[in-house]
Amino acid sequence: MRPAELNALRANAATAKAWLVEGVWKVEHAFERSKAQGRVVDDTRLRICFVMALFGMAFVTLGIEAGRAALLGKAGGPEEAAAPPPGARADLVDREGRLLAVDLVHYGLYLDPRASWNIKETRAKLMAALPNLSRERLEKALRSDRREYLIGALTPSERERVHDLGLPELSFEEEERRVYPVGESASHLIGFADSGGHGLAGAESALDPEVREAAAAGKPVALAIDLRVQAALEDELRGIMRLHTPISATGIVTNARTGEVLALASLPDFNPNTAGQSPPANLVNHAAASVYEMGSTFKIFTFALGLDSGVANVNSTFDASEPLKIGDRTIHDYHGVNRVMSLEDVFIHSSNIGTAKLGLRAGGERLKRYFDAFGLLAPARVELSESARPILPRTWNEDVVASASFGAAISVSPLAVAGGVGAVMNGGNYVPLTILRQDGAPKGRRVISPEASRAMLDLMRANVLRGTGTKADAPGLRVGGKTGSAEKVIGGRYERSKLVSSFAAVFPTDGPVDATRYVVLITVDEPKGVKETFGFATGGWTAAPAAGRVIDRIAPFLGVRRTPTAPFAAQRQAAAPAEEVSEGTL
Amino acid sequence: MIASLFHRRVRGFRIIDLIALFCLSVLVLGVYFAKAAAGREGAEISAVNQSIKDEQARVRLLQAELAHLENPARLERLSAAYLGLRPMTAQRETPPEGLVELSRNEGPRR
Repeated sequence: MRPAELNALRANAATAKAWLVEGVWKVEHAFERSKAQGRVVDDTRLRICFVMALFGMAFVTLGIEAGRAALLGKAGGPEEAAAPPPGARADLVDREGRLLAVDLVHYGLYLDPRASWNIKETRAKLMAALPNLSRERLEKALRSDRREYLIGALTPSERERVHDLGLPELSFEEEERRVYPVGESASHLIGFADSGGHGLAGAESALDPEVREAAAAGKPVALAIDLRVQAALEDELRGIMRLHTPISATGIVTNARTGEVLALASLPDFNPNTAGQSPPANLVNHAAASVYEMGSTFKIFTFALGLDSGVANVNSTFDASEPLKIGDRTIHDYHGVNRVMSLEDVFIHSSNIGTAKLGLRAGGERLKRYFDAFGLLAPARVELSESARPILPRTWNEDVVASASFGAAISVSPLAVAGGVGAVMNGGNYVPLTILRQDGAPKGRRVISPEASRAMLDLMRANVLRGTGTKADAPGLRVGGKTGSAEKVIGGRYERSKLVSSFAAVFPTDGPVDATRYVVLITVDEPKGVKETFGFATGGWTAAPAAGRVIDRIAPFLGVRRTPTAPFAAQRQAAAPAEEVSEGTL
Repeated sequence: MIASLFHRRVRGFRIIDLIALFCLSVLVLGVYFAKAAAGREGAEISAVNQSIKDEQARVRLLQAELAHLENPARLERLSAAYLGLRPMTAQRETPPEGLVELSRNEGPRR
């Protein structure tokens, strides 16, 4: 600043100061004059002091509040972050916390043609940057006289690519999209949600309210599945699909004690990220939404009720030397031994005659009551809304009772069977299946005695060691199981060449009756016999080997240790299982 | 004492007026600085919050990518396709207590 300006500024400041002092003096003199005139002045001063005090208090309050807000306030803090957007869904994770489904920020692209300098350039650049962009929609937007939506769900990298085009007519808006990072894995169990945040299938649909609540709380929803177990199960099922080219193959792994579904696969499957582009048939979860006559796998339930009710015991015998006639119908053993058989022999040779006799001894009412207790006469008790109703016989006459005892005349979903098998193998408690991770074992309700459960575990193990399930043995893992091969009903008649082959396995079968055990159920719809299986397509040749391999692979993940006294691989290959097929007429 | 506050003057100004002016000035400045600081803090907090939000979005994106990359099914497919790996057989497993026996059978390495 130049000296002249400085002097002028000083002169102005001095003038202002003089003016201020003069003003204050004038006020003072006014007070003094007033005082000379009487006491009224004191009152005036008091009033002035009072008003000043009020102003002072107001300023002090403001000062304190402002200081507090500046130093201690929480405004804008992370804890006051914006509430989740409408339709927000919580992450779905597996039991180990691996991400299964997540809301991710994507971008919607908008075009305002009024801001475009060169329509041709815009068209060319956009088509090059976004090959998936609908040409029709782009042309419509370019002809419009307002801002138009072009395409949604752009990933950050796609957004960057479009942004780098430097076109001022393009703009972006954030939008949440559901993403399934594990793709096809567990797709039927996880399901999918629409772009509005509504669950449409699987856990996304079944747990819709829980997922939304968890999103508001900022917590993930933990499912019971273990992705490692799921991967092994799916890999083996894909092997079945390649080798036997069935219509579908399903697999379920459950914890028999807690009812947790550790893995669930249904092939063919789909990618939930592009569910709309999958063939409708691939969207069907056959493990929950399809019902099958399961065949001899059902014998597990008949034997369990026989042992629990006292209708039979381990020393009981059944005459299977001749076919069983019920009215006009004759029940055969397809690979029968034509002799009087012990209870164990009936089970491990999968004798339809012996099992039918056991069912008839128990009677229709008892059979129905136990089947109901095992959860076989209702949709599988699990959160999945796809859980299908079983197809049940109208009456429970002798013919139906005999058929139902070996898995004909009644169609149930694989999930329902897995739940029932779990009840037989876990010490006798029916625990509803759940797709949610459980922190403790639910109480369940008792359906058979622990003794009957123990006997069933032994029978299952014997069947894998000496019966139809030998191909399911896994070294040192004490696997038990039961095969099933049911002819499909086509046009009201049983079709011999079209089977539903299954294997229900449990491991380990030793230890205390209420120890933790795992159930593996493989179901294959219309497998084709191949050279490798000598043309057989039954449960013992299709589902049982796969179940054994699944168990072999998942046991380390589940903490099941091998015992050193296992019948190893050489022994596994040696024995071919006997064939058993359940049949009947409707 | 109090009366003197109303009657004593400094350079023509009564002490009470000076005190009141001082208090008022302090309070005005205090409020001004507090509000200004609050405004600055608020802007900074908003910027940090936006940064946290952006980072969280990036973290979630990376978590999703990681989940995809670490998907056991994908790893199995890749390890079989490119490395020829297969699930380990029981014959190649041993419990920890069997390690000593294995090393004895194998003998010292040269």
